[in-house]
Amino acid sequence: MKARKHLALFANYAIIIVLGLLFILPFIYTIYTSLVSTRDINKLVGISNWTFDNYIMYFTNDAYNVPRWFLNTIIMTGAVIVGNLIVNPLAAFALAKLNFKGKKTIYWIVLATMMVPYHMILIPVYVNMANLGWLNTFLALVVPFLYQSLYIFMLRQFFVTVPNEFMEAARIDGMSKIGLFWKIVYPLARSPLITMSILAFAGTWNSYLIPSTLTNTPKMYVLVVGLNSVKDAVFENTALIMAGVVLTTLPILIFFFLFQKQYIEGISSSGIKG
Amino acid sequence: MSVSRNNSKSIQPYPYKKQSWFSSFADSDNKVGWLFILPFLILWAWWFFYPFVQSFIRSFQDMNFAAMDEAKFIGLNNFIQILQDPEFFQAVLHSLQIVLIAVPTQTLLGLLMALLVNQKIKGKGIFRTIFFIPYITSQIAVTTVFMMLFKQGTFLTNFFGIFGFGDVTWFADTSYALIFVAILFIFQQAGFSMIVYLAALQEVPKDLYEAAGIDGASKWDKFRYITVPFVKPISFFVISVSTILGFQIYDQIAAISRYGALGSPAGATSTVVTYFYQHGIRYMNIGYGSAAVLLFFFIILIITFLQKKLLDDKE
Repeated sequence: MKARKHLALFANYAIIIVLGLLFILPFIYTIYTSLVSTRDINKLVGISNWTFDNYIMYFTNDAYNVPRWFLNTIIMTGAVIVGNLIVNPLAAFALAKLNFKGKKTIYWIVLATMMVPYHMILIPVYVNMANLGWLNTFLALVVPFLYQSLYIFMLRQFFVTVPNEFMEAARIDGMSKIGLFWKIVYPLARSPLITMSILAFAGTWNSYLIPSTLTNTPKMYVLVVGLNSVKDAVFENTALIMAGVVLTTLPILIFFFLFQKQYIEGISSSGIKG
Repeated sequence: MSVSRNNSKSIQPYPYKKQSWFSSFADSDNKVGWLFILPFLILWAWWFFYPFVQSFIRSFQDMNFAAMDEAKFIGLNNFIQILQDPEFFQAVLHSLQIVLIAVPTQTLLGLLMALLVNQKIKGKGIFRTIFFIPYITSQIAVTTVFMMLFKQGTFLTNFFGIFGFGDVTWFADTSYALIFVAILFIFQQAGFSMIVYLAALQEVPKDLYEAAGIDGASKWDKFRYITVPFVKPISFFVISVSTILGFQIYDQIAAISRYGALGSPAGATSTVVTYFYQHGIRYMNIGYGSAAVLLFFFIILIITFLQKKLLDDKE
């Protein structure tokens, strides 16, 4: 019995370690390759042969424009998150706590929009952007994405759980509905708002379909689009490309390690409720 | 000022304060409700509903981006043309193949990883993080790395050679490119499924296992009769989400197609998404592309509906 238990435990460790290696080795390979010179690719070399040349190349060679791509990505992601932090909670609060005419219709709209893949409207969005002269501007990358129906739904689920007594207490103190929202409910929603921001950050930072469709000048590329163009242009230069992968991925990984707990809770709660 | 006089007649919630126009506005559920909904509603109407309607209308039109004014209604012609295009059926087939390979694999892998990290194992937190990291990494970045790993003559292609795979550059080979895309999807999506399963597993009451242990149930029995019923409802969520995402795959295919047409090599990775993108955006054939998008949406709806019938009815 005891021997069987040991065997089972050993099997568990063996499986998890093999799986873990499968998942982590591509990342180790990427970091390692980004640190060697082109002639050392696919060879193991000691630390003394490592170099930051690949990274320096991106910031010194004008062909790559990486500082600009970083800036573009930060502006796009930042603006989208700020928008989502305003538009979504306002709508979610109204849906959860205010009785206005047409509330059921709006709620239905939010739910239905959640189900529709963005592909569905991509062509007309592209055409409308072109007609407005918005292609290759931040307006195109930001304005349509200032709200997200999924997050409105998530926040609404949270606001519903805020007890009505809170609201009544505020009313007796002579606070208006608007004041109630900003001063009481918004601060209460700190944790779901953080979760939402993290999800929005990852989704926007990594997005490729939309920025690659709505921008086509290298000056307006975001990191992911830039990385893809570098990969195509210098396909044989593995070390340089891997440095690009690290530059694109590192910010999101740092962000993930800072907020890991909230992020994973956000994912699992959206999973359970969805 | 007439406004404030009107309001003084209405019932005041706090009569010790003078009702201003603002406070009467800020007190009405109806007015504040619409004020709060407005930013969302404007953006939604402008950048979702309007394009959605356009997409629908244009699928019945012959419209090209170069000559938008010359658009004319052609009824169901776009749909008829698409349904007569063998390339479309190839694209549907590829989409189905990716989903059929990737969805079951990533679901089982996610469940396995959740079961593993849910045990009393040293360093399970580290493993959970390792399994989850690919999910938060950009698809383009992951695809780029895997393209380097699966180039002809590298360690991995040699390794797979042992199992009878050819030593070829996977993403550039017509028989391997689609599997390559499926592998990328599995690698990234399994971590998400793991997290969802893990949340479900943690809902299982511990005393159930203990009680079963006292009754002499084996590990397999516990899994079969306690764990499985508990994770079954969440499996529907995992499977339907990954199916929908599987149909939507675009980034990976765009990355491996490089300078070639979408769906390279030689259409081996063309899917319903690359089909509509190629026609609607690259060739600027708006009407035809919109019709293809509508068919794409229709396919997803049918599959989701079938899954619901198949998976939910068993309960």
